[in-house]
Amino acid sequence: MTNAVPEIRGADLLFVIGSNTTEAHPVIAMEMKRAVVRGAKLIVADPRSIWLTGIADVHLQLRPGTDVALLTAMAHVIVAEDLVDHAFIAEHTENVEAVVDAVRDCTPEWAEGVTGVPADLIRQAARMYATTEKAGIYYTLGITEHTHGTDNVYSLANLVLLTGHLGKPSAGMNPLRGQNNVQGANDAGASPIYYPGYQRVDDPEAQERWEAAWGVPLSPEPGLNLNVMMKGLRDGRIRGLYVMGEDILVSEPNASALEEGLNNAEFIVVQDILPTETMRFADVVLPAACFAEKDGVFTNTDRRVQRVRKAVEPPGEARADWQILCDMARAVGYPMPDYAHPGAVYAEMASNSPMFAGIRHERIGAAGLQWPCPEPGHPGTPTLHVDGPKKGKATFMPAAYRPSEELADDAFPLVLSTGRTLYHYNAGTQTRRANGASTKQPGNFIEMHRYDARKRGLANGDRVEVSSRRGAIEAEVVVSPRMRVGCVWMPMHFPEQLTNRLTTDAGDTVTGTAEYKVCAVQVSPLAAAK
Amino acid sequence: MTPKITIDGQIVPFEPGETVLDVASRLGHAIPSLCHEPRLKPTGACRMCLVEVQGQRRLQPSCAWKAEDGAVVTTRNDRIDTHRRTLLSMYVADHALDADGLPVDQGGTGNRLRTHVKDLGTGPALEPLTAVRRDRDDSNPYVHFDPASCVVCGACVRYCDEVEAVSAISLIDRGRRTTIGTADQQGLLDSSCELCGGCIAVCPTGAMTEKPALGVPRDPEPTRTTCNFCGVGCQVDIHVRDGRISRVTSPPPGTTVNDGNLCVKGRFAMEFVHHPERLTSPMIRVDGELVPTTWDVALQTAARGLLGVKQRHGADALGFVSSSRCTGEENYLMQKLARAAFGTNNCHQCAAT
Repeated sequence: MTNAVPEIRGADLLFVIGSNTTEAHPVIAMEMKRAVVRGAKLIVADPRSIWLTGIADVHLQLRPGTDVALLTAMAHVIVAEDLVDHAFIAEHTENVEAVVDAVRDCTPEWAEGVTGVPADLIRQAARMYATTEKAGIYYTLGITEHTHGTDNVYSLANLVLLTGHLGKPSAGMNPLRGQNNVQGANDAGASPIYYPGYQRVDDPEAQERWEAAWGVPLSPEPGLNLNVMMKGLRDGRIRGLYVMGEDILVSEPNASALEEGLNNAEFIVVQDILPTETMRFADVVLPAACFAEKDGVFTNTDRRVQRVRKAVEPPGEARADWQILCDMARAVGYPMPDYAHPGAVYAEMASNSPMFAGIRHERIGAAGLQWPCPEPGHPGTPTLHVDGPKKGKATFMPAAYRPSEELADDAFPLVLSTGRTLYHYNAGTQTRRANGASTKQPGNFIEMHRYDARKRGLANGDRVEVSSRRGAIEAEVVVSPRMRVGCVWMPMHFPEQLTNRLTTDAGDTVTGTAEYKVCAVQVSPLAAAK
Repeated sequence: MTPKITIDGQIVPFEPGETVLDVASRLGHAIPSLCHEPRLKPTGACRMCLVEVQGQRRLQPSCAWKAEDGAVVTTRNDRIDTHRRTLLSMYVADHALDADGLPVDQGGTGNRLRTHVKDLGTGPALEPLTAVRRDRDDSNPYVHFDPASCVVCGACVRYCDEVEAVSAISLIDRGRRTTIGTADQQGLLDSSCELCGGCIAVCPTGAMTEKPALGVPRDPEPTRTTCNFCGVGCQVDIHVRDGRISRVTSPPPGTTVNDGNLCVKGRFAMEFVHHPERLTSPMIRVDGELVPTTWDVALQTAARGLLGVKQRHGADALGFVSSSRCTGEENYLMQKLARAAFGTNNCHQCAAT
């Protein structure tokens, strides 16, 4: 997030796109609700009539995967009606001509044909966003989990730059990170192309710095991203795997193909807190402590580094992941220092990463410390780009609409999007073992429009088979007024009816992020259940 | 010029919009209250925070009375004490009492009414009210409600309307039978409730409590940590009893990123921590089965296996899947393990938001 969570309350307009905030980020949604109660305008772009659309001023109910068309049409309106912030563009950006050219033909009428959103509604949303000063964009995986996810993000950034909604309170570009420490994992260099602090592995200066810190030569060759790694298991590029704290078989797309890949692997280590599906393929299983049993930091969605503290003892012989990793390094002959506490690990990382150089465990107070925090005593940075873009001039990146990788056809006529619900969390490893969550949502379900249900002779509660080109699973029908005709939705939380057997592993060209939000499926009554 | 108000003889500047209670709290003057909650619009329902404002014939609720330039306010004198004691008598006459005649101590969440009675005493002894308030059959696993301990201040209802905004609960019935209910008195699972538990957090008397921790005293020194579910980064206080997590509460509003709020997962979905299926021993695969072993053997086996792959196919045939669920330090160590100990940049996690 360019801006901080508490700023949401002061916003005059919220543009929420590809984020079912009340279910995926309930406490940020509370801030949004409080803003709306106070009088802020709310624009929601989502194929489903999610909870927030009930209090929204405008709901842009687009077809899944057509975000670029919607957003370029909004940019078209902003340019055509001269709602741009000329001073901001001149002072702080470059390459605006490319975007002006790219959106010239993207009229709202054209976009209506692609997205299904009425042209007038697109105009209204564009005008509201462009003419409100404290207007922030909030997005989640509905934007990124597409083969054109990067284009989606560029298109949003173009709106922010055209209207100068950057570096100002309650505005900006705000991805809501999905997991407790997604931000922190990237910050810490758990990335094939970055060392900690976003220092590129192919930058000789960075390589030199970390070689000095770690005392070994390092590879300048960028590694494989997760999506490619998973495919690499099948094609033989990856032969050994070390998996910590993720049930990849449940959370990664195209699970049947991944299963085949895991079978091919020569050696797999799984380190986790509870039994997972991936563990079926493990050669070694290492029991780990959970968050309540260890110390460290998590970095949240607004770049806030916060402490994690041990409250209870881990069960049996389980140990903290950081201790296990140190022992593992020593077991393969690397002299990992004898860290007394995770605070010492953090200090090693921060002292080689300018972005966090001023952060140490002892400095982190009740409200956390937001990076960049370049030196000791620096108060942290709640809002980014206040004195103009960090990199000097922000670059407009034109994007053109292209259809998703897999479209509905006669054999698979429905478009499936997947996601998360309020009561469960991702692979369900934790929440499937929670009483309330299991009472509220005991098993997998598929939300569909009554028209699509009726066409197949289906009613609420019927058991169905959902199939795609990659697999088939069972689920219970929920006829839902939230859906568009032709679109269905399923959660990803249930290993025994694994939604990711259906999804495609086609990835974004830049990030490799898989297209969880669009794949073609068929739904048919489960005759055998009679 | 900054506006100033006189509170108990002290002249203090204030920000326009601040209430008398806000300014007095800043000075450290404790004004008793039941229904006041900084996240909610003031309603002045409980009447405990009444103060004397010069020029006003009647006492005024400090939680709702805006500070005015030149106003002179008294927060404690005989008149105010008499008012508060009389009020407390009325509350006590309509509240579940313990053997000492005090409002019951809700072991879990405390009872501010009890504290006020102990601090201020009561006024005239009143006949106990015998109104029977409607209760409801509610099988939800998380939120317990005891009508007999409720002072009907409505803080829970306001929270449900103004912050969580799902309006699952409301004041129902009339007069002395007024209580907190749901539409048709259905259980919370069948209502629009999302089980965030905010009603518990704002309840001044403990009438709303965590069902799994009913009667379990609070940990006087809970552990402040960060929730392990989504990316909001809510700060939580973990209460421990006999080595196990007994309840999770939020730090006070205005102190952390979550402003006192939590969701159903952060407040309640902690069963996994002490789940019987937790992995408690390292395991290695022997004849197709995973069997328990020692840490030493497991680490040696893992090291041999991974080094073997590296020898046969090169370091880049290894993949390291780190975790956005683990700490920053652990992610740092995982990539250090991949890069420094094995020599590959094949390290990633499911973090492509």
